[in-house]
Amino acid sequence: MKLFNPDAAAEKLLRRFAGGTSRRGMLARLGGALVAAPVFPLLPVSRAGAAKPDRSPEAKTAFARKAQTVDDTKCDYWRYCAIDGALCSCCGGGIHTCPPGAESSPVSWVGTCMNPEDGKAYMIAYRDCCGKPMCTQCMCDNQDRETPLYVPQLNNNIIWCFGTQSMEYHCSTAVMVGPA
Amino acid sequence: MSRHTSQAFTLRAAAVLIGTVLASGAQAAVPTEPETPNVATLASPNPGWFYVRGGFDTAGTQIVDSATGKMVGMVDTSRTSDMAVDPAGKFYYVSETIWSKGNRGTRQDLLSIYDANSLKLQTEVSFPGRLIIGAQVNNFAISPDGKSAYIFNLTPAASVNIVDLGKRKFARNVELPGCAGLMPIAEGLVSVCSDGSLASLNLSGGKAEITRSVPFFSATNDPVFDAYNYSVRRKEAVFLSYTGLIYMAKIGLKPEVAAPFSIQAAAGLRPGDTKPLDVNWLPGGRQLTAWHHASNHLYVLMHIGEFWTQKDPGEEIWDVDLSAKKVVKRFPLEDHIDNIEVTQGDKPKLFVNTGKNDGYILDLATWTLGPKIGAIGGGIIATVEAP
Repeated sequence: MKLFNPDAAAEKLLRRFAGGTSRRGMLARLGGALVAAPVFPLLPVSRAGAAKPDRSPEAKTAFARKAQTVDDTKCDYWRYCAIDGALCSCCGGGIHTCPPGAESSPVSWVGTCMNPEDGKAYMIAYRDCCGKPMCTQCMCDNQDRETPLYVPQLNNNIIWCFGTQSMEYHCSTAVMVGPA
Repeated sequence: MSRHTSQAFTLRAAAVLIGTVLASGAQAAVPTEPETPNVATLASPNPGWFYVRGGFDTAGTQIVDSATGKMVGMVDTSRTSDMAVDPAGKFYYVSETIWSKGNRGTRQDLLSIYDANSLKLQTEVSFPGRLIIGAQVNNFAISPDGKSAYIFNLTPAASVNIVDLGKRKFARNVELPGCAGLMPIAEGLVSVCSDGSLASLNLSGGKAEITRSVPFFSATNDPVFDAYNYSVRRKEAVFLSYTGLIYMAKIGLKPEVAAPFSIQAAAGLRPGDTKPLDVNWLPGGRQLTAWHHASNHLYVLMHIGEFWTQKDPGEEIWDVDLSAKKVVKRFPLEDHIDNIEVTQGDKPKLFVNTGKNDGYILDLATWTLGPKIGAIGGGIIATVEAP
């Protein structure tokens, strides 16, 4: 019984292809494509990225227009544009630090917040700190680009304590991920 | 003292004397016999009752009679649990998560079943997990025949855990990728999805089958609130988008969604927009809409703001006649309101509550707001459909 041999099949295919094409022909076609390249539009993704994002006040959310960069214990601190809950920076922790004894969640919801100083948008990971009773200090509920439950990664009502020892909610941090 | 005043004085003195005698007689009627302590029972679920949750992180669901504004009992809902009422009115179902040592130890996800009259725990059914969220509508539902409980789960992969209420046993887990919320139908359930479609889950066969409708909204541009209204009996739902578009839908294995209309336009105003700096009346809150099925009126919490204020509390209640597609009443609120629900009888009343745990009953026959009911709970509100 003859078994299918992929090596042999591939070799046969390549030999047939090589037989029907010349090195010069290939170079000619490649050169033609290079010359013609500027005529074709670039990839749509690249074109979208090339367009400068609109950072005018008319394009900013109400939160972004009023956000500040000085005090991370206030709800209007720029990174908190989509945070919901108690600020860990008021509970013995910090902007990316859980308070003593709490456990940082390995997963988070995200927000895209505008830094008023450089006018650029950054991705922020809101990581809940878990395993202690709720810290009731500095309660905030911001809503920029916050979505319903069927888009969970942008929903801030969920208790994001997945993967921790206890799902008891303590407070929330706002960890910088990078430019959006 | 004149004779006239003297007579009046005598009369008054006599009245006080009679009053004292009567009071002492009444005092004698105060029971002084030894008593045996006992425990009350509760009437069966009543369409005139509001079930009011404590706020986030608070346990207990207070039952308030809309006729009197008084509390008649409490369902034992633990923190972040969900409650549903048996369609036959015999049980309260509580889907909850507890740990063996308070906030630590072994996690246990349980469906706790309480007798509707004694409010005593009948049994607990273990199942593999549920979404933990600060009490939100549409994550826990009972099938129309009362035989299955559907529990939304997020790990963060989405699925539904199904408990057989006849056998009082966990039946199975069915994946629900990219979707959330549960609208039970005879064949299974329908859910809202991130691609803007409705997913119908047919559970009537051996293998669960999922089909998706044509998308009808954009989850990124103008999402519909997940706190939508659904009537099991009518098999219809009402969805509201962040900008204020109202979609009415027939719910089934093949859902049909009608073309939306703008709530602002229905009030004679400019429709809502997503653009920054565009200040308008917009819908917002937690449980922000209540639907009276028989009259087909939707009561919506509205506030003034820009887009991305979808959780801002209501400053007015807008009464939308869904059949006529008209806003027929706008009712201003002194307190800012997070949640709203309506009784389903022929004389509907609204219950609204605030983040400070204050509640009010609003009689829709006269649009009069009852007195503030303090410490009633600031969480979600439930009512049952008339039998």
